[in-house]
Amino acid sequence: MTAPTAPRDLLTLLDCSDPGDLAPIGALAASADAAAAVAGAPAVRALLERAARKLWSVAEDRARDPVESLAAARRLLAAACAGEAPEPEPAGHDAGAAEPTPAEPAAPAPPVAAIASPPSLPPPPPSADAASDAGIESDPELIQEFVSEAQEYLAAAEQALLVLEGNPDDRDAVDTVFRAFHTIKGVAAVLGFAPVAEFAHRAESLLAPVRDRRVRFGGDYASLALRAVDMLRALVDRVAVAPAGSDALPAGFTALMDALEHPEAPAAETPPAAAAPRDAEGGASPQPAPPPPPADSGVSHETWVRVRTDRLDQLMDIVGELVIAQSMVAADPGVLSQRSRDLARKVAQVGKTVRELQDLSLSLRMVPLRATFQKMTRVVRDTARRVGRQVELVTDGEETELDRKLVDALADPLVHMVRNAVDHGIEPPAARIAGGKPPGGTVRLRASHAGGNVVVQLSDDGAGLDRDRLVARALERGLLESGDGLSEQDAFQLIFEPGFSTAASITDVSGRGVGMDVVRRAIESLNGRVEIASVRGRGTTFTVRIPLTLAITDGMLVRVGGQRYIVPSASIRITLRPEPTALRSVAGRGELVMLRGEAVPLFRLSRIFGLDGAIEDPTQGLVVVLEEGDGCSAFLVDDLLGKQQVVTKSLGEYVGKVPGVSGGAILGDGRVGLILDPPGLTALARQEVWTNGAAFAA
Amino acid sequence: MSEKTPAQSTAGGAKYLTFSLGTEEYAVSILKVQEIIGMMDVTPVPRTPEFVLGVINLRGKIVPVIDLRTKFDMCRAERTDETCIIVVDARTGEMGIVVDRVSEVATIPEGEISPPPRFGVSVSTDYLLGIGRSGGRVQLVLDIERVLSEHEAAGLASLGGDAIDPALSQEAGDVR
Repeated sequence: MTAPTAPRDLLTLLDCSDPGDLAPIGALAASADAAAAVAGAPAVRALLERAARKLWSVAEDRARDPVESLAAARRLLAAACAGEAPEPEPAGHDAGAAEPTPAEPAAPAPPVAAIASPPSLPPPPPSADAASDAGIESDPELIQEFVSEAQEYLAAAEQALLVLEGNPDDRDAVDTVFRAFHTIKGVAAVLGFAPVAEFAHRAESLLAPVRDRRVRFGGDYASLALRAVDMLRALVDRVAVAPAGSDALPAGFTALMDALEHPEAPAAETPPAAAAPRDAEGGASPQPAPPPPPADSGVSHETWVRVRTDRLDQLMDIVGELVIAQSMVAADPGVLSQRSRDLARKVAQVGKTVRELQDLSLSLRMVPLRATFQKMTRVVRDTARRVGRQVELVTDGEETELDRKLVDALADPLVHMVRNAVDHGIEPPAARIAGGKPPGGTVRLRASHAGGNVVVQLSDDGAGLDRDRLVARALERGLLESGDGLSEQDAFQLIFEPGFSTAASITDVSGRGVGMDVVRRAIESLNGRVEIASVRGRGTTFTVRIPLTLAITDGMLVRVGGQRYIVPSASIRITLRPEPTALRSVAGRGELVMLRGEAVPLFRLSRIFGLDGAIEDPTQGLVVVLEEGDGCSAFLVDDLLGKQQVVTKSLGEYVGKVPGVSGGAILGDGRVGLILDPPGLTALARQEVWTNGAAFAA
Repeated sequence: MSEKTPAQSTAGGAKYLTFSLGTEEYAVSILKVQEIIGMMDVTPVPRTPEFVLGVINLRGKIVPVIDLRTKFDMCRAERTDETCIIVVDARTGEMGIVVDRVSEVATIPEGEISPPPRFGVSVSTDYLLGIGRSGGRVQLVLDIERVLSEHEAAGLASLGGDAIDPALSQEAGDVR
């Protein structure tokens, strides 16, 4: 028996089915899947896939509200029926670019100006009425899915457009962009988001001649298409915030709509002279292979499951508990006793499995840096155009994975750094030629794993940092009293000082004096570090090291008084029991401990946290030296209790942010231990000394 | 944010969990109560107000615990076998409240809650929804969200996570 594949048949079957009987609903779900597989228009396919998902959730008894899920499936099927009828897709429209439209010989027409009269286009997408009838637009789950899918499509489209700039004949890239606009148009229309649908339609129209090979992609087309992607993103974000869509349209909507309709009138935004096509570098050096077409950028659903991140967090929590429960069992005297060696072995076996489970649940949160790196391609392109540089971005290691939350948190600092590299690092073409370099600069972004860390390296082949200029600027800004004896490395660190900026003029790209100090703070808040290496005339390299995840902290358990704390291992430089001769006390300035000739300020954790019963004599206790930013501080503790890996947890909204503490963790005995935050702790300790020691003034 | 209409009533009265601090009996809407657990080891959190005892591990979740006696400016009491933690489901998440003793679940008829008196009770009237009567006894009906939200406004704001003046750490940095 063949399954029905027409949406209308499915709808009829659904109406006839008995919601109490799950078996036929399963069959129906399978049919909907089959229908989706053969559906022509992507919008219809998307609707059918969603209907199938709803039906499966009912059939497998996973639906929280089966009646509502069935109703939603019905609405989706109805929309699929509606979506099918009014949009007669020209064949090949979405079947990929396997065959170009035969009517148009693929003669490469001269760019842009060739479009004398816009070709007749498919009629505007189905009106919102059909959707309103189906009551689709009110389903928040559908809207959310639309938003996240649209964002994926747009990311893929953006990437493809950047590929196209380098290689205007990349058919796959054209199709990716086209598919993105087309699908968004269709689904937006069905969901009743008229402005999104209209805009996507215009964007699609813009590219139709390119896809049909009547026009070569390039020049203004590139900028227009990228701006269209941005606008669509803004529109989609707007939908995410206010699905009712009563808000005003994003700024520039109308202007861009017009621009898309008349692409031959160049937009003022793009000074063509600044355009730096990859070809400009000539044949001397082999072109790096263009990034692979983003065929796999999340658009295919077969092998992927979308999971809410809070569920992953929950999984981590539960597995973390399991680990603790298991270690409590393993440490139980009954298990450890000689009589039950067999039991101990079994418990150890469970422990091994539990730890594997923990590793696996951690790995579920890991995502590659690819999307972030792709974003940087755009940042480089836009910045280079704005400041008149020729810059190529070369990325490596974008498959490096780290925690999803960290990937998100890393994006902003990285944008700052990349902009800086283009704006401050790479010289203008004339200066480069004068310096014997090719006119186009290269910015390299490289990611790799090293130990439990991810290392992201950003290097440019620009002018490099100029020690004397940095010092001069710091003196001018009052950040430094004297530059004498300042090492080159120390001078480089100046760029991380708040209010420091080396840009001669204030541009809208950088040079406002907020950049790098914010970057460093952001990275330190991720328990990470930034290092600089620079050779004058050769370029600068920033190395960012951050942990793979914040969900797990590799720490050293320390005891102070009756309390235990976890110190992140990454920040510990050394732990030692100080010799009496290594201790110094400076009147009004607190204590110092000498560490290989370097004076490190010594603070007492017990005083900072107001703890009783802690060791007072540093030579009786232990000193943990923490590395933070450009300096070190030492903290006196009673004892080290050993290394421990802990699952990081928040202390809850009520307690909020506690200075010097980044969170909590359940320790092996089931009690809570606090995780220390080295930068916060150091700041706190300095403040303490400052308020207590009266005569601090230099 | 205050719960002006406590627990919806079944047959003329809402249910409250009653507990005592010293000689006074208090009541809190049963809808806010998640569970009652015995006293356990509490990890103190530095630089929080005195009434914040610290945090506990509640089945793998870290839950803050406050001492209601300290919060209400009453003298500290010895811990006894009856000292326990009422876990409430507050707007700020799960919270533990240490009380001397839990009494019972009582139904207080709607008409039996009168507005709080202006004086004569040890607790700020801001924290009270009213004075209830049941079983011949008087209970101070607590607005638990108020009790818990005050801290946010007064306590945490003054502590301020990022309250360290950058200028200070700057100067301190020059010491090196």
